[in-house]
Amino acid sequence: MGLADAVRGAFGLLVNGDPVLWRIVWVSVSTSVLGLLIATPFAVAGGYAIAMTQFPGRRVVIWLVQAALSLPTVLIGLLLYMMLSRHGPMGGLQWLFSQPGIVAGQVVIALPALLAFTLAAVQAADPRFAETAIAHGASPWRVMSTLLYEVRFGVMAAIISGFGRVISEVGCAMMVGGNIAGETRTITTAIALETSKGEFAQGIALGVVLVTIALAMNGAMMVLQGDAHAARGRG
Amino acid sequence: MKHMLSIARLTKRYGENLLFDLLDFKLDAASAYVLTGMNGAGKSTLLRVLAGLAPADAEGVHFAGEAVALAPYPATLRREIVYVHQHPVMFSTSVAGNIGYGLKARGMASAAAASLVEEAMHWAGVQHLRSSQPATLSGGEKQRVALARAKVLHPRLLLLDEPTASLDGEAREQVLALIPSLTQSGSTVVMACHDRDLINLPNVRRLKLRDGQLEEK
Repeated sequence: MGLADAVRGAFGLLVNGDPVLWRIVWVSVSTSVLGLLIATPFAVAGGYAIAMTQFPGRRVVIWLVQAALSLPTVLIGLLLYMMLSRHGPMGGLQWLFSQPGIVAGQVVIALPALLAFTLAAVQAADPRFAETAIAHGASPWRVMSTLLYEVRFGVMAAIISGFGRVISEVGCAMMVGGNIAGETRTITTAIALETSKGEFAQGIALGVVLVTIALAMNGAMMVLQGDAHAARGRG
Repeated sequence: MKHMLSIARLTKRYGENLLFDLLDFKLDAASAYVLTGMNGAGKSTLLRVLAGLAPADAEGVHFAGEAVALAPYPATLRREIVYVHQHPVMFSTSVAGNIGYGLKARGMASAAAASLVEEAMHWAGVQHLRSSQPATLSGGEKQRVALARAKVLHPRLLLLDEPTASLDGEAREQVLALIPSLTQSGSTVVMACHDRDLINLPNVRRLKLRDGQLEEK
């Protein structure tokens, strides 16, 4: 099949609503969103706490979080595989080669990205926001909610970036999910499989979906950044 | 109760460097003070220490007759002492929302808070800005909103860090016009400043921070 035929076939699959293709998209999007929903509260609270408090070993924690950003997802997949395999410490959950297993991987992958971006956003915030809240009698929870609202564009950028990271990763989903058709086959694992078989049409169609998601995510981020610039206004 | 705040000894160091070492520091109830001193004398730091925003070594602290500690800073002082920055920041809500921030933090019901906010907006002359977003305010308007945000809480001790600094012309005059009613509101007010018009206000006591010591002039 030539490239032109493959592209034509890809758009045919997209336009005709191929159930296999859209099932793959659904598995990818649903596991990524669920992973992100689980990771976000912990990461945002953790990033805020690290940014706002001084404690022994704080720099080591920041170093480890930033280092975790560079970990190959296939290595995270390997570690999770060992944890979730029948004889692993979490084998009883029977999550290996299942969607919960993929979600667990997405959580582990998203956490450091979300945490690092939230940490950076809170650290970059004008310290007078927190001080003003404190000096007007706000409780620690209110100070936190006030400050996170002030850096909401940075936190949203963190979430969008985390989503981009989890939906585009292939290594962990392949190892923990097992690429089972209709169950754990995600966009990225399907592209890898179809390409290895020389079936480019579905790979290209899924690639188009992935690029569309990436464009939508980055477009949303640009809109948010535009709002942030507008909100700064005059001094 | 004569003294709103008394501290037997208050010391602030940056590493080995002593910024101030104040003995028998006292602020009387319902009194107004201007705190002067050279740049770097520690005026702002002293206000921040009193507001619990900067650490210091304190001994024998009494607030409104009660023995308290400055570290950890007690919740009771958080509700009674309000600090306003030299360049106040506005939260990302309306002017009314900013002025009502501390009332909301205190759990006051919306209806009661709304009438106090309305009153404070009239006092500061910013009622026409009620629904405005902070990004649209000028420096003088922000300072007036910040003063209203503090005044609406009726703090026992109000700490103002250079309230007229970086303002000029009409904006400065508008802020200056608000200060006398603040100093007569029953709160103890301390204003760090260089502004001659503030220093020469009637019924305002003058404190000078020099060489790490505080003297009343």
